[in-house]
Amino acid sequence: MAGLLEQIDPLKAEAREAFAAATDLPALEQGKGVFLGPEGRFTALMKQLGSLAREERPAAGKAINAAKAELESALASRREELELKAAQPQNPSDFTAPGRRRALGHLHPLTRVTDDIVKAFRRIGFAVADGPEIEGEYHCFDALNTPKDHPARDSQDTFFVDTPSRPLLRTHTSSVQIRVMEKQPPPIRIIVPGRVYRRDNADATHNPTFHQVEGLYVDRGVTVGDLKGTVEFVFRELMGSDTKIRFRPHYFSYTEPSFEIDFSNALVRKLGKDWLEIAGCGMVHPQVFENVGYDPEVWTGWAFGFGIERIAMIRYGISDIRLFYENDVRFLRQF
Amino acid sequence: MKVTLNGLRQYVDFDWSPEEVTERLTMLGLEVEGVVRIAGDFEGVVVAQVITRDKHPNADKLSVCRVNDGKGERQIVCGAQNFQAGDNVPLILPGATLPPRPGDKEPFTIKVGKIRGVESHGMMCSADELGIDPEALGLKREDGLLILGPDATVGQALALHFGRGGSDVVFDLEVTPNRPDLNSIIGIAREIAAITGNALRLPAVDRAPVLAADATNEAASLVSVRVEAADLCPRYTARVIRGVRVGPSPEWLRTGLERVGMRSINNVVDVTNFVMLETGQPLHAFDYGLVAKADDGRPTIVVRRAADGEKFIALDGRESVLAGGHLLIADSARGIALAGVMGGQNTEINDRTVDVLLESAYFSPTSIRRTSKTLGIRTDSSYRFERGADIGISEWASRRAAHLILETAGGTLAAGVVDVCAEPIVPRQIVLRHAKVNALLGLDLAAAEIESFLGQLGLKIVNRRPRSLDDPAPPEPVTFQVPTYRVDLKQEVDLVEEVARLYGVDRIPSTEPRHAKGGHAFDARHDEFMEVRRLLAGLGLNEAQGQTLISRASMAGGDLAAVVPLLNPLSSDMDVMRPSLLPGLLDVMGRNLRQKNGDVALFELGRVFRANAGGVSEGWRLAIALTGARSPAFWAGAERDARYEVADLKGLIEELFEHLGLKGWGFARRVESGGFFLESAQISLGGKLVLGEMGQLQPRLAKSHDLRDPVLLAELDLDQILARRNAGRSFKALPAFPAIRRDVAMVVPESVTHEAVMQAVRQAKAPNLEAAELFDVFRGKHVAEGHKSLAYAFTYRGADRTLTDAEAGAAHEKVLAQLKQSLQAAIRE
Repeated sequence: MAGLLEQIDPLKAEAREAFAAATDLPALEQGKGVFLGPEGRFTALMKQLGSLAREERPAAGKAINAAKAELESALASRREELELKAAQPQNPSDFTAPGRRRALGHLHPLTRVTDDIVKAFRRIGFAVADGPEIEGEYHCFDALNTPKDHPARDSQDTFFVDTPSRPLLRTHTSSVQIRVMEKQPPPIRIIVPGRVYRRDNADATHNPTFHQVEGLYVDRGVTVGDLKGTVEFVFRELMGSDTKIRFRPHYFSYTEPSFEIDFSNALVRKLGKDWLEIAGCGMVHPQVFENVGYDPEVWTGWAFGFGIERIAMIRYGISDIRLFYENDVRFLRQF
Repeated sequence: MKVTLNGLRQYVDFDWSPEEVTERLTMLGLEVEGVVRIAGDFEGVVVAQVITRDKHPNADKLSVCRVNDGKGERQIVCGAQNFQAGDNVPLILPGATLPPRPGDKEPFTIKVGKIRGVESHGMMCSADELGIDPEALGLKREDGLLILGPDATVGQALALHFGRGGSDVVFDLEVTPNRPDLNSIIGIAREIAAITGNALRLPAVDRAPVLAADATNEAASLVSVRVEAADLCPRYTARVIRGVRVGPSPEWLRTGLERVGMRSINNVVDVTNFVMLETGQPLHAFDYGLVAKADDGRPTIVVRRAADGEKFIALDGRESVLAGGHLLIADSARGIALAGVMGGQNTEINDRTVDVLLESAYFSPTSIRRTSKTLGIRTDSSYRFERGADIGISEWASRRAAHLILETAGGTLAAGVVDVCAEPIVPRQIVLRHAKVNALLGLDLAAAEIESFLGQLGLKIVNRRPRSLDDPAPPEPVTFQVPTYRVDLKQEVDLVEEVARLYGVDRIPSTEPRHAKGGHAFDARHDEFMEVRRLLAGLGLNEAQGQTLISRASMAGGDLAAVVPLLNPLSSDMDVMRPSLLPGLLDVMGRNLRQKNGDVALFELGRVFRANAGGVSEGWRLAIALTGARSPAFWAGAERDARYEVADLKGLIEELFEHLGLKGWGFARRVESGGFFLESAQISLGGKLVLGEMGQLQPRLAKSHDLRDPVLLAELDLDQILARRNAGRSFKALPAFPAIRRDVAMVVPESVTHEAVMQAVRQAKAPNLEAAELFDVFRGKHVAEGHKSLAYAFTYRGADRTLTDAEAGAAHEKVLAQLKQSLQAAIRE
C-alpha cells in the first residue's frame, strides 16, 4: 500500500474529474458524496491517519484538509455552473414577440384640449365656471344686448325645448357670463368650457352641438391691452410659442370695442394660409354691466370665446368635426 | 359687399397695392374674404406719341423711332410706313401679350429684342394686331399703324382711351351687421379717406339741368305723396324725369355692375342699382305713365300697410298674398311696390317708358325684415334697409340718380322734389370723455389726437367751450355730432371703438396677465371630472363624447316620461334631449361594431336632461359600456380569449368608487329588469341612496345595434357620487402581528349570494376576524344540481398579540356554525 500522503493527489485529481464530468446537479451531489461525504473516500483517508506515526499525523491531516478545501471550492464553482445551466429556459424567449399589454384608455381629444385650455387659464388665476345648457332667452340673448330681431333668436337657427316655458338650448357659453355676474360681485375671473347648440345640419364642419370656451375678466381698470396680453399668453400656451396673434375690429352685441382674433403658426402656414380666424372678443359692453347691476363707470372687463373643436381640429389635423361624436375607438386611441 | 379697386379710386386717392388694401381694410374691421383680379382689354397697351422717326441703319423698310409712353422715352423699331413724328399710336410694352388671332398657335408676347442690330423696346400696333375694327371706333382704316388722333392722352391705357374695361381688382368684403354704411362704395371710400387723411370725393349733384320751373314741370305738381304709415316710413322722396329713352347701359355702367356680380337690365334700372351700390341707398324707378292718377290728375303715392289678403305681383313675376304688417307703396288703385323689398310688375320700367318716377326713401329695418322674411323675398334693397339705411341721404341719392339717368337715358328733370319727412332729422349726439378712451384701451392719447380720429370719420364737435392751448386742466368732455350714416354709433364706448380702429388695434400694447385670483364653485368640479376621466382611462376605458340630442325612439323601453322634447328638431334622429347616456353610447357601440371594431370599452361623462314637474333638470352622469375581448390580443394564456362579463364591469365600478373614497356601496340584483337591461343590479350607497344601475344589455337592443358579444352597461349619477366622495385619507398603522388563515369550501344552493355569505359571517361576530375573501366558485363534479361550491379564505389577526392556533380555531368555529345555520351550508372537509 502506497503511503497515505501519496494517495492524496491522485484522489484529488479523480474527484476533480468526477465533478467536471457531472452534467447536472444530482450527478454533482452524488460525486460530492463519493469523495467528500461522511462515507466518502476522503473521510476514509482521514480515518487512516491513525495508522501513521504520531509525528507524521499533523502534516498529513493538514494536507488532506487542504485538498478537501480545494475540492469544496471546485465543487462550488461547478455547482454554480450547473445551476446556471439548469435555470436556462428550455426554449429561449422571443424578445421580438408582442408583449402582453394592459389596456390603458384614452381621453377624448375634446377633453384633452379643454383641459389644456383650463390649465393655461388657471396659470393666470382663472377659475372654471359652468351654467345650464337649457337656457332662457334672457340669459342667452337679452342680457347680452342681442338685438330683438337678431336671427339667432329665431327657431330657424336655435333649438327650443317643448315645455311650457319654451326655453332654448344655449347658442353660446356667453350666457354663463350673465349668470356668474348676477351671483358674484366683481372682480370676476372665470372661464367656461361647455357645450352649445346651433340648429345646423351635421357636415364636415358643423354639428348641432359643439363646445366653446368663454373667458371673462372684470376688474377695475381693465383695458384692451390686458385683453391682448391674456389672449396672446393663452394661445401661445395652447398652440406653441411661435404663435402670432392678430386682432381685427369686429362686431358683437355684447362687447364694445369688439375684435376677431386671428392666429398664425407653422400649422397655419402648412395649410397655406397666413392667418386663421380663431376667436371673438372684446370689452364687455356697458349695457351688459348695467343688466347685471355692475356700475360700468367703476368696472371694466373683457370677454372672449372660441370653439374647442376648431382648436382640436387645427392641433391634431382633423378635417371632419363628426369624428368627435362618432367615437370610433380607432379614432379615440390616437389621443 | 363687392367693390372694385378702380371704383374706390373714383372717390378717394390712395396708392395701395391690392395686398395693402386687403391688409388695411381687414385691420379696420372690414374683412376681405376674397380678391379677384380681372384682366382688362388691351393689357399692357398704352397711348404713345411718336417723337422722332429715323431710317433704320441696316434695313430700308424699317424705321427707328423715339416714342413717349407717358412715363418716358423708348426706342422702337417699326416696319409700318403710315405715320410721322407727332402721331399718337397704340404701343404694346415688353412682357404684354397681343390678343390671339385666328390661326395663332400661342399668344404672341412682346420682348425687348434687336431687329437688324437695333434694340426695340416694345411694338407699335396696327388695328389688326389689336383685333380692332377701326371704323367701329370712328377711326380711319389704313395699312400700318392705328393712328389715334391728336386728342388722345399720352400714357393712358388704351382700354381707358376706348372706354373699355381696364384691369381691376374686385374685393369681397365681409360687412358686419352693425355697419350698414359700409354696404356702399362711398362708405368704404370714407373709411379709406379716414385712415389716409385724403379727402373723400363725392360726385357733384347740384348742377341740375332742370326745365324752367313752371306748374307742369315741377315735381310737386307731377306727383303727390301720402305717407299713412309714418312709423314704418319716416321719409319718402319722389322725383320725376321726363322724356327718357330706355335702352342698354353704357359700357362703364354695365361693367361697373357686372364686376360686382349684378346683372345689367336697362339704363334707368341700372342707374338705380349703381347708386345703391355707390351710396348704400336703395332706390326704385317706376314708369310714371303706369302709375294711376288720382282725382286731381296727379299720380298719388300712398305709403300704407297692406290689407290682409291683398295680392301683389312683384317684378320677378311672383305673386304674394300680403298681410297687414307688410308695408306697401301704392297708387290710388293698387300696390305698386313692396316697400324696400321689390317693385311691382305693373309699374316696371320698360322699353316704352317715357317718364320716370324715382323713389328714394327710408323704411324701418323691422318692417322690411318682417316683409322679406314672411314672404321669403330677399333683395339687395331689403338687405340694406334691414340693416339700417341712412335717413339723411335719401334726397341726395335721389338727386345723384336723377343726374345719372339724364346722363345715360336723356330726358329732363322736373324741378324740385317731393320730400315727406315725418319728423326733422336730428343727428345723434354723444358725449365723450377723453380719459375714458385711454382707460378702456390702455393708451395715453392726447385729446387732440382722439378728436382728430373722430373728425376723420365725419363726427363734429358741437359744444366745446373755448379754452386756451396752455390750459392745464384736463380736456372737458366733448359732445360729438354723429353723421346720420353711422347708425352704429350710439354711446361713448362706440366712439372708443372708433378710436381703437383708427389708431390700430395692433398698436395697442399688450399687458401681462395680472395675477388676481378667480373663483367659482364649479372650479373644483372640473378637477373631479378630470380625475374620474383619468381613473377610467387608467382602467383601460376610452372616453366617448356623444350627441346630447338623440331620438325619442332610442329611449323606447326606457324612462320616456323624463324625455325633454325639442320644439323645432332638425330631424327625428335628434328630437329629444338625452335623459340618459346609454342610448348614445349604444349607438357608438353599434357604429364601432359595424366598423369591425369588435372590442370596445368606453365611458362617457356628460350631462343629461330630465323633465320633472313641468321643468327640466340637468345633471351629470357617468356611463360605461363594454363588449368583446377583456384584454388586448395576446398569443398565449388560458384567459386570452375571455370576453367581458358582469364581474369586469362591477370591478371597474368598485375600483372607481374606492379611489373616490366612497364607503358602503352595494349591488342588488333587480328582480325585474327592464329598459336597456336583460339582467341588472341597482347600485346604491348605504342601502338607500341609488347611484345607478349596471347589467347586461337586453338582446333585442343588442341585435338592433349589431352587437353579438354580451354588452355590459352601467350608468351612474355622478352628482351623487361626487357629493359623497371622500378625498381625505388617513393612515392606519400596518399590522404588527402575523395573521392566521383558514380556508373553507362549502356547498350552498344557487340562490345563496356572496352578500348572504358575508352577512352570515358578520353575524357570527367572530373575534379577530380581519377579512373574508371569496377565492373560488365551482359547479359540477361532486356538487349537486342547483348548488354551487364556494371557497372562502378567512384571515384572523390579533391587534395586540400573536394569536394562538387555538384562539383562531375557536373564532373560526363560530363562523362555520353561523354559515351552517344561516345558509344550510354543507362544509366540505
